[in-house]
Amino acid sequence: MARFASEDWWRDYIARINGSSAYREVSATWEGAVAFGIGAEPDKSFPETVWGILDLWHGECRGGGVVPAEEGEAASYVIRAPYSRWKSVVRRELDPIKGIMQGKLKLQGDLPTIIRYVKAAQELVLLVGEVPTEFPDEP
Amino acid sequence: MKAVAFEEVGRVEVRQVPDAGVEEPGDAVIRVTQTAICGSDLHLVHGKVPMEAGETLGHEAVGIVESVGSDVSAFAPGDRVVVAFVIACGTCWFCRNAQSGICEDFRNLGAGIFGGDLGGAQAELLRVPNADANLLRVPDGVDDERAMFIGDGLTTAVYGAALGQIVAGDTVAVVGAGPIGLLSAQAARVHQPGDLVILDRDDARLDLARSMGMTAIDVREQDPVMALAARTDGRGADVAIEAVGTVEAFESAVDLVRRGGTVSVIGLYSVEQLEVSLGVYWARSLSIRFGGIAPVHAFWEDAMQRLERGELDPTPIISHRLPLDEAAEGYRLFAEREATKVLLVP
Repeated sequence: MARFASEDWWRDYIARINGSSAYREVSATWEGAVAFGIGAEPDKSFPETVWGILDLWHGECRGGGVVPAEEGEAASYVIRAPYSRWKSVVRRELDPIKGIMQGKLKLQGDLPTIIRYVKAAQELVLLVGEVPTEFPDEP
Repeated sequence: MKAVAFEEVGRVEVRQVPDAGVEEPGDAVIRVTQTAICGSDLHLVHGKVPMEAGETLGHEAVGIVESVGSDVSAFAPGDRVVVAFVIACGTCWFCRNAQSGICEDFRNLGAGIFGGDLGGAQAELLRVPNADANLLRVPDGVDDERAMFIGDGLTTAVYGAALGQIVAGDTVAVVGAGPIGLLSAQAARVHQPGDLVILDRDDARLDLARSMGMTAIDVREQDPVMALAARTDGRGADVAIEAVGTVEAFESAVDLVRRGGTVSVIGLYSVEQLEVSLGVYWARSLSIRFGGIAPVHAFWEDAMQRLERGELDPTPIISHRLPLDEAAEGYRLFAEREATKVLLVP
């Protein structure tokens, strides 16, 4: 089991994305890296903001992992939220598209494009939910 | 007379200037007994608004009417009065409709050409145009220190709380525990919220808020959005009052309200820019109400009555009381956040 948002955790996630034929099918025309800003919540044992990125291109993930903030912020699509929100996404309690529309996740990038790929987003959430994850605020 | 003057960006000085006098029939001249340094004075001193060397500063004052012009009917020499920081005409459509902050002939004391070239209130004497509209008599039961806040900060806070349209039982979050934030939290209390929190990242300000009986959240420790979500079954605050005037504070206020919530923006903005997703704002049914310059004339009688009854009390935020001659030190203390509110006595 990997700690949430650690290098090992991203590695596992990327492997699952690349192993998914369902994701490949629904994102065959997607082009663009997506960065995730996981906001610090010191009171939840998540003391620093962590940035991760997925280099998504035509149905596969060409790479990714933890990146410096400046690299994350410069990605084509940036989604930011406090740690607890991402935890809800990983646990499939919060649909990311709905989360974006409700302002719970903040998107920087072309919202219409993201919405057109709602099925790809759903597959990514299904896959992230499969990653065995250790959350820092849980025993 | 002595007055505090802008000298260059970052520097003020107390200097001798010609006495203020009646120039127009609607003017009154007051002998200032109490004045103060406001956060917006810092904007001027720090070059956010163009000022010329020698232009005088300040817009908060209580004093005694010294002389009046021929058209002044509501006040006479000897009256103890507080001055509105917005110098309004009192007769245009906006003034007649409780929006004097956007008066057709809006002027601002002590703000150089931006404010209509009026002298500043950090002085021994102050000329107040359209005195019948821009002065309010101070009741005997209210001392000068408390009354002074009616001309700007406290009434701005009362206005900000009103913009939030707080309903009894609401969860209200005030973003920023500076002077206006603290006063806004006090003003919000009048509307009987079910829960009221104030957010900041400065230890001294958080401590002051707590000493005033407020629930203060340190945003270095708790994410503001999640802190409010945790207090509202995940929904977010019903009302946020943004009392800072930065993009970060604005975004925080917008993010922490629930869908259908209201954001009252009383922080001061000038050139800041922010890219927003209108679709998200629309889908969240947000009410974002920009306060602009507070129409103090519409709210100051109510604020004065609440002050007199003890429902509002700005004195806890006063950190320093200095003679006018030490104004430069007052500005330094305020700029370096060593002071919450600096009062000056001519």
